Amino acid sequence: MANPAETPDPNPSTPKLESEEIEEINGDEEEEEEEYEEEEDDGKPQTREDAIASRIQAASLFRRMRAAPVPVRVHDVIVKGNEKTKDHVIEAEVDVLREATTLQELLKASKVANFNLQALDIFDSVKITIDSGPPELPGTTNVVIHVVESKSPITGQIGTFTKAEARSSSLEGSLKYKNIFGYGDIWDGSLAYGCDHSAEVGLGMYLPRFRGRPTPFTSRVYLSTQEWLKFSSYKERALGLSFGLIASKYHELVYTTAWRNLIDPSQMASTSIRRQLGHNLVSALKYTFKFDKRNSPLRPTRGYSFISTSQIGGLAPDSRTLRFLRQEVDLRYAVPLGFYRAALNFGVSGGITFPWGSGYKSRASYVPERFFLGGNISPVCSLGGPSALWGFKTRGLGPNEPRREVQDEENGGTYERDFVGGDVAVTAFADLSFDFPVKWFRDRGIHGHVFACAGNMAELSENKYRKFSGPKFLETFRSSVGAGIVVPTSLFRMELNYCHILKKQEHDRAKSGLFMTFSTS
Amino acid sequence: MEGDQETEVYTLVARKPSFDLPTACPNCLPAYIYLKLAQLPFELAFNSTFPDSDELPYFENGTYVAYNNEDGGVIEKLKKDGIVNLDAQLQSLPEYLSLKALIASWLEEALTYEIWVGTEGISTSKIYYSDLPWVISKVLFYKQTCMAKNRLGITKENAEQRETQIYKRAGEAYEALSTRLGEQKFLFEDRPSSLDAFLLSHMLFIIQVLPETSVLRCKLLEHSNLVRYAEKLKAEFLEASSSSPSPPLQSFPSSFTRKGSKPKSKPKVEKTEEEKKFKKRARFFLAAQFLAVVIYLSVMGGGSSDEVEYEDEDD
Repeated sequence: MANPAETPDPNPSTPKLESEEIEEINGDEEEEEEEYEEEEDDGKPQTREDAIASRIQAASLFRRMRAAPVPVRVHDVIVKGNEKTKDHVIEAEVDVLREATTLQELLKASKVANFNLQALDIFDSVKITIDSGPPELPGTTNVVIHVVESKSPITGQIGTFTKAEARSSSLEGSLKYKNIFGYGDIWDGSLAYGCDHSAEVGLGMYLPRFRGRPTPFTSRVYLSTQEWLKFSSYKERALGLSFGLIASKYHELVYTTAWRNLIDPSQMASTSIRRQLGHNLVSALKYTFKFDKRNSPLRPTRGYSFISTSQIGGLAPDSRTLRFLRQEVDLRYAVPLGFYRAALNFGVSGGITFPWGSGYKSRASYVPERFFLGGNISPVCSLGGPSALWGFKTRGLGPNEPRREVQDEENGGTYERDFVGGDVAVTAFADLSFDFPVKWFRDRGIHGHVFACAGNMAELSENKYRKFSGPKFLETFRSSVGAGIVVPTSLFRMELNYCHILKKQEHDRAKSGLFMTFSTS
Repeated sequence: MEGDQETEVYTLVARKPSFDLPTACPNCLPAYIYLKLAQLPFELAFNSTFPDSDELPYFENGTYVAYNNEDGGVIEKLKKDGIVNLDAQLQSLPEYLSLKALIASWLEEALTYEIWVGTEGISTSKIYYSDLPWVISKVLFYKQTCMAKNRLGITKENAEQRETQIYKRAGEAYEALSTRLGEQKFLFEDRPSSLDAFLLSHMLFIIQVLPETSVLRCKLLEHSNLVRYAEKLKAEFLEASSSSPSPPLQSFPSSFTRKGSKPKSKPKVEKTEEEKKFKKRARFFLAAQFLAVVIYLSVMGGGSSDEVEYEDEDD
């Protein structure tokens, strides 16, 4: 519905647009109607005749827009309301406006620009108005961007996330201080606790534009601990600094340098773990290529995704930093079946890690960089590499060693085993998800699924690649099947499954029965 | 490991060798020498990334592990668990206990002081940090120096007084041990004991690791019978079984005097080939980084918006 402007537009081809189209563009619909009256150039109250004339004019314009592209050129982009934020920060996010050559393109570009500015997370509201250009330049338009900067620069939030440093889903609380210097900078302090017994405290900085770079720049200082005493008899502490160098839709490049320390307070570790206790300096570059065309990360029913993560450690002139190579790939495919929102999900993932440098064949790979399978995460949601298998407990399968012998006076000596991880890992799964016929469940997104999965790991470093054989690797594959109910909540996806272990190896921590998983996107 | 059987090989895990010693760590060397004196065949493995751990050295055999921070130390634990016990009939002797107290307290204190304070840690980089990156080694060095000072009760106010006390006690201990030993082969009759392991380790470390300007070293070298004792045992138990025998201990004239200036000057450390290589690589790395940043900024930098070109458009 077109709203009339008071003053007749000298350039009838580009009237001032404050119609429903703009309402769709701007994020604040309530203020839009109020703003309409404030948008008048000369401040004079509208007369009834002017209102009717504007309506007719706008209707004519929209008829023209429906018929054919309306050529237009953006003369100027005017930014208003930014008292602290630098102009170039806003203008960098709305470059797409200047490239529009028709009114239709301009409206679409305005939506994109509005989204980009809202994504900076430093404005309470963003309004984009398309106004007519100077009278002496017909066919031009001015775009006015009115922003309202956040009045309270400090915000707090709690949520579940997946962080690269913790390498699993975690519950995180953070405080953010926004736009201190006017560059769209966001400073945050966060505390995270992960499902994998990890805790992390960190300080981060986010810059949407850094010296003309096309992608945001992030940096983070963190102190983290991950406790694996129960599974592998070691505890990992890390003090690190990471830089997000590239972060776009498909590509991510992160450089991390960290001081890692492995300790064993229990003094029960097995031989391999004992050998690796101590301090290490990691200087690593990680590149991730992610292509996710699934319709949902938590319940994909259509589409496919591919993710490849490559990591190289030891990027420092000091040869005493940790030198390793790590590669993970993950491929998913979801096929809709057309009834009860059923879908068949397939996934296959694999990874390999190996040390490099002199004597790399006989050197052991670093335990925290190895692969571990099992845990309370659903394979459907854990995109990123081999990690989860239904029915197997955290770090519950793969190469393992006996722990230190403890003299038990009653039993004469008992010991358990450490799971030391593998240098190569492969997993695969198939999952059939479907809605229940009861409406109550469907309204809440609760659905059922039937699944099957398989996976295996092997060691390659310390010359163990000589003992590796494909047939034996296939022969020792673990597998499980099951069925369950999926309950999505606002924070995570919960599954309650019954798993039946089809095949496992000696010492694997897995048994048939009820199993719960918690996953975040 | 899956399917592997437990091995029966004894292994001593210690810190890395240096200064012509099988392990340059003063906490690990006694255990090594003790096993050699006991003539127990064992393998030596190394952990070079945990300089601030009190678990090292540890002795392992399959799933059996004897850590140094349990039951009074590795040697005591080996005795208690029946692996090897050289002190079976000596422990009840009053002389044994008094010598043990002397070695475990005064000599151990003196050695700790000399490593971390007296010589300002000049030897520690090779003993503890040779396989650690510079940043970590620097932080750990400061941490371990503070811990050593705390353990010795050294503060800014009493530093000089403690130093005098420590050196005085060490001198008295050497005197007592020299008198006790005489020209015997071992401290107790003709059989080795754990005290021989501790004493031999202490002396080998002081003579071969500490610089010549070390006060403790000068005090020890005054007692020639102690030096001969160390040379003999080293030749018989350490060099005889090693494939590459280390050079003999330095011999010093018996007329060595303590007179003269106080040995406070630090010897100049020559740059090793490794350090020169590291500095060269660091320069290349920094230059490559700078070049990459310059190229990146010149190719990708400056996202200035283009001016809108005015064109005549038909309605």
